[in-house]
Amino acid sequence: MKTADELIKTYLVDLKAALRGADKATVQDALADAEEHLRTALENESLEKEAETEAIQTIIQEYGEAEEIAQAYLSWESALPPALAATPAARRSSGVSADETSPAGRSYSGLFGVYADPKAWGGLVYMLISIITGTLYFSWAVTGLSTSLGVMILIIGIPITILFLLSFRGIAFLEGRLVEALLGERMPRRPSFTDSSLSWGERLKALLLGKATWLSWLYMLLMLPIGVIYFSFMVTFLALSLGLIVTPVATLVMIALDIPFTVIQSGDLVWQLSDPLGLLLSVVFASLGVLIATGCMHLARFVGRIHGKFAKALLVSD
Amino acid sequence: MVDLQETHKKFQKELSSGTVSLALLSILAQSSEPLYGYQIGKLVGAGEDEGPGVMVKQGAIYPVLRSLESQGLLSSERELSDSGPPRRYYRATEAGQEALQTWITIWKETKKFIDNVLGGDYQ
Repeated sequence: MKTADELIKTYLVDLKAALRGADKATVQDALADAEEHLRTALENESLEKEAETEAIQTIIQEYGEAEEIAQAYLSWESALPPALAATPAARRSSGVSADETSPAGRSYSGLFGVYADPKAWGGLVYMLISIITGTLYFSWAVTGLSTSLGVMILIIGIPITILFLLSFRGIAFLEGRLVEALLGERMPRRPSFTDSSLSWGERLKALLLGKATWLSWLYMLLMLPIGVIYFSFMVTFLALSLGLIVTPVATLVMIALDIPFTVIQSGDLVWQLSDPLGLLLSVVFASLGVLIATGCMHLARFVGRIHGKFAKALLVSD
Repeated sequence: MVDLQETHKKFQKELSSGTVSLALLSILAQSSEPLYGYQIGKLVGAGEDEGPGVMVKQGAIYPVLRSLESQGLLSSERELSDSGPPRRYYRATEAGQEALQTWITIWKETKKFIDNVLGGDYQ
């Protein structure tokens, strides 16, 4: 005869199997919901050990067959809008008016359609702030591991190590929320469930040897170089494009103030800003600037998509 | 041969997807304090009997709660309990309260419409 605990585990395994092929984040959420419910229900019944087994069978039956519940998650998940194409109510509550964002389901095709795509803007913001988050993650990951290793021979080292390892998991969850908000990649909305029936030793072992802990750590480490690259690249090209875009304005100002400004002097070719040629060239430069800026937006959208997949691979465990 | 059981199931599923949202939102909007999934399940009376009237399994309310949350109609917070596992407490947001009023109107109209179509005899 199985114990209540084993029955819960069996159910979770079934549910996971029924959700095979579904989004990893959905699976994690569904399992967390189910485990929370079953354990809470069992606890509310507050029964003797012997009666627990019987009670949990009823509870599981009331919760619904794994196949059925999996179907429920899948159907609701497909009806859920991605974070960035949220419904009007969500937009209102987050302070963004419905007019500012485009209707869901619209495609942002074309060279300049990218400017209307929230994903491109999300990617851009993500790339710009990644230098900050990346630096923080890296410092924390390195400090955490080296401090833990350093003090591990002392008694006090054990709680310190546990705290650091837990913080890696916590940061991974928060980064997941950030990734979903800015890049639109579906990430877990619930922290993964910690099984309170396990002993401290088993929980510690899961934390210490768990793939999730170390993949999160690796992600935090990698975010520094990645953040530096994202930030430098974006700032360089955005600054360049903005500089180019304002050339006609600068030219007009120079002309208005009658300041001679030689841009190019090479042999016979002298380009004064105030020349008709100078004006023409400044317009060409401005167009070039617009092209570079548009390229940046496309890149931001592309990098956002790739980074979302990358974050999911490292931060969401199976 | 037509599998009537399958058809009933499909009809039930299609019908419940909207009504369960309405029921959950209404329960949370009326509640003075935030509730967690298990309590909500008890309040809906989900899974209590296996008759044709049973709307939804307890496990099926969680994806609905999450969907309502992602639409900004509910907010949730995870809290540790004195004993047992941590629980996620849900409450209706202001947008949720607002949405509920409209949903109730829609529900009343739907009910009237169906009652009209079915006529007086079906009861």
